[in-house]
Amino acid sequence: MVQLGSRLLRGRGGHVVIRFALGGCTNRPFFRIVAANSRRARDGKYLEQLGCLDPLPNAHGEKVAGLNLERLRYWLGCGAQLSRPAEKLLGLAGFLPLHPMTVTGAERLRRRRQREQQPEAAPADGSAEPGTSTGTSTGTAP
Amino acid sequence: MLRALRRCRPGPVPLPALPPALGPGLGPGLGPGLCPAWAPRAVPVRGRKTRHDPPAKSKAGRVKLPPPVDPEELLVVLERYRQHRLVLSALRAEFRAEVLQRQREERLAAGGSAEELEEHRRLMAWNEEQNARQRARREERLRKEEEEQKRRKLEIAEKQARKMEAFLEEKEKEVLQLQEEAKNFITPENLEARIEECLDNPRNYNFAIDKDGRIVKRTVLS
Repeated sequence: MVQLGSRLLRGRGGHVVIRFALGGCTNRPFFRIVAANSRRARDGKYLEQLGCLDPLPNAHGEKVAGLNLERLRYWLGCGAQLSRPAEKLLGLAGFLPLHPMTVTGAERLRRRRQREQQPEAAPADGSAEPGTSTGTSTGTAP
Repeated sequence: MLRALRRCRPGPVPLPALPPALGPGLGPGLGPGLCPAWAPRAVPVRGRKTRHDPPAKSKAGRVKLPPPVDPEELLVVLERYRQHRLVLSALRAEFRAEVLQRQREERLAAGGSAEELEEHRRLMAWNEEQNARQRARREERLRKEEEEQKRRKLEIAEKQARKMEAFLEEKEKEVLQLQEEAKNFITPENLEARIEECLDNPRNYNFAIDKDGRIVKRTVLS
C-alpha cells in the first residue's frame, strides 16, 4: 500500500532530479546516482538507479564511479534536474561540460599552492641574508 | 550591480584584532583591500544548542561578515556559468528530441500494419478535404453577409440624409412663412395706426345658422 505523506500529495508540485543517495556504513559512505522525485527523502524510494560512486579512493588511488549513460539521456530528455555534485561528476566524466566551479576551484587551489611556495622561497632567501628581514611576506597579491 | 560586487567596495569595515595565526585558515583567494575579518573556518552546525538558546557571552561583540568576493573572479565565473548553461540547455533539447523521436517510432511500430496506416492516411485526407469544403462555404457566406451589411448601412445612411434634407426644407418653409406673416404683425410702432384702422372699419362677425347647416351672414346690424 502506498503511504502518501502530505509532502508527496499530488497537485503540489515536485520534479524529477538526478542526485546522490547516500548508503554504506559508518565511516564508509557510498553513493548511488539516482533519478527520484525531488520531494522524496534522500535515501528513499527512487524512480531508477543510474549509477554509483565510491567516494573513497581505492588501492590505486582512484575514485570509481559507474554511469548508465543511455538512461541518463532518457531522463534528461524527460526534463530531469541535476543536483550540483551530480553535475560536477558528470562534467568530470565528460558526459556534460565541465562545471564552472570545478575549474574555479582548481584555479584557486593552484593559486594558493603558488602563494604557499613563494613564502617558502622568500624566507629561504631572506634567512641567507644577515638578519634584517623579518620574514613577513604574507598577503602578497595573488 | 550584483550584491556580491557591492561587498568588494573598500568601505568602513570594523576590523577587530586579527588573530595572528591566520595562515592556512584564509579563505580562497583573499584579494587586496577586502574585508579580512572573516576568520572562522568551521561550517556553522547546530551542535549543542538549539536555535532558541541565547548566544554565549563570548560572542557578544561578534561581527559576522559575508565571505570576501574577488570581482574579477566573479565576472569570470559568471561568464563560465552562462556558457555552461547554454551548453546544458542545448544538450537537454537534443536529448528531448531523441526521446520524442523514439516515442514516435514506437507509436508507429505499435500502430499496426501498413494497411492500417494507409487507411489512416486516406481518412485524414478525406477529413482535410471536407474541412476545406466547409471552409469555402463558410467564407462565401461570410462574404455575402458582409456585402449585405454594407448595403444596408449605405441605405440607412441615404435615408438619414434624405430625412435630414426634408427636415431642413420644412424648417426653411416655416421660416419663410413666418417672415411673410411678420409683415402683418402688430408692432409698437403700428399699434396706434392699427387701432385706428380697426376702429374705423367695424367688422360684423355675427351670423345665423339653422339645423340644416346653412349660414347667414347678413344680419340686422349691418
